[in-house]
Amino acid sequence: MILATGFFESLIEFEPLRYALIAGLCIGFIAPLTGSVVIIRRLSFIADTLSHFSLAGVTIGVFFSKLIPSDIIKINPIFMGIIFSIIGTFIIELLRSFYKNYKELSMTILLSLGVALSGLFIAITPGVSTSYTNALLFGSIMSVDENDIIIILITSVAILIFAFLYHKQIVSLCFDETYARVSGINVRVLQLAITIILAIVISVFMDLVGVLLISALLIVPVATAILCSNSFKQTITSAIIFSEVSILIGFYISYTLNFPIGATIVLFNILILLVVVTIIRIKKHYVKKEN
Amino acid sequence: MRVDVQNLSFAYTQKLILNNLSFTLNHGEFLTLLGKNGTGKSTLIKCLLKIVKIPDNTIFFDDIDINSLKKFEHVGYVPQKVEFSYEFPINVSEILSCAYQRRKDDYYTKIINALNINPFYRDNINNLSGGQFQRVTIARALLNRPQLLILDEPTVGVDNENIQSLLQVLSDLKKHSVTILLSTHDADFAKELSDRYLELDEVGDYRIYR
Repeated sequence: MILATGFFESLIEFEPLRYALIAGLCIGFIAPLTGSVVIIRRLSFIADTLSHFSLAGVTIGVFFSKLIPSDIIKINPIFMGIIFSIIGTFIIELLRSFYKNYKELSMTILLSLGVALSGLFIAITPGVSTSYTNALLFGSIMSVDENDIIIILITSVAILIFAFLYHKQIVSLCFDETYARVSGINVRVLQLAITIILAIVISVFMDLVGVLLISALLIVPVATAILCSNSFKQTITSAIIFSEVSILIGFYISYTLNFPIGATIVLFNILILLVVVTIIRIKKHYVKKEN
Repeated sequence: MRVDVQNLSFAYTQKLILNNLSFTLNHGEFLTLLGKNGTGKSTLIKCLLKIVKIPDNTIFFDDIDINSLKKFEHVGYVPQKVEFSYEFPINVSEILSCAYQRRKDDYYTKIINALNINPFYRDNINNLSGGQFQRVTIARALLNRPQLLILDEPTVGVDNENIQSLLQVLSDLKKHSVTILLSTHDADFAKELSDRYLELDEVGDYRIYR
């Protein structure tokens, strides 16, 4: 209770904490929306690859922001992350044309390049602390500033508008590509738009939850929702509820116990998954017994 | 819609499937595509729908080379095997309303009723029987308000009652001058509706007859 009072008081008094909470609530909504498409289109590995390549963009951004005085040119590392993430989607497609029978190779190559560049630029950037590196990898409540929150809000609203306008086409493409093509949907453009949105989501929200855990936030709530839903709408709604609950509880625990926020949220997400799996097993057991 | 196929040949690696095939499907005509398994019925459909790459100037819809069409409009397709993304929950109403690129109206309701989809309208697509599933794919194709309807073995796994309702739907479409290409291994199916037959054989040859 004492801790709770402290948390809510801090939320009122402490601006960065409010920013982080707004960012968290945005990702709680956007991640399952994007994650559903990622799961159906089997893009999970692309999400992981892009987050690692985006990290390279962020670290390069940090390197140049320290090197070049901000009154000459102000470099925003998140923007660099977004640019790298989008370039990453094109590199994956380009490399795929060289490895027609081993298409996943393109992602492994890009992921390795991202990690290698990140390691290099973290090492050569002056004044980079271990806590900064930890925050990049596992996320940090304090990493969201006023500029970030503007980018996060704009991105979230833009994705919601896109989803509202094109949800029919997206669902058609996700569930039956051949039908989507025949029914007049421009599959190539829509696929590209989906991948670019994925790249943007990853780099925009990576700051809060960390590069290693961003794809878990996209995937785990939806993976849980699939098990206990009967329709697409129900799956998305349940996934958003699981995601938001994990974020709020993860946020509270992270702040009060000083745990890394990304790790705490993901662990709580996995806990919900385990609870759902256990309930389903118990239900099945009783149904079998009754029969 | 009028369909012209001109000197179309198609081969998978070394095996020639379609050999210099030419035919015209007139506006409002019903053509039944016959042939045993492996004779190229599904391949011809894939060519017509650009699912596989075809040479320029071999297939025309209303005198336009389909390779120059950025997207198809008013082409309905009922596949033999639907590649839905299984396991992910989605119900029939969601599949159909997403296939209908406008607000639900009388036409939508008419299609749902004609194919008797109401009893399982809210069911998860993964829990449907083969016949119910096929009705959903037919309804989905019709929601596109097709001027050309292509059906690939639509009777597989469908019971007699549903076959009769499918024939009724096809008969209505024919009355509305929809061009229909129906692929089947059963020559007797839709014999009342067929204007002509196109029969493919194992060596890539074909014959057209009434």
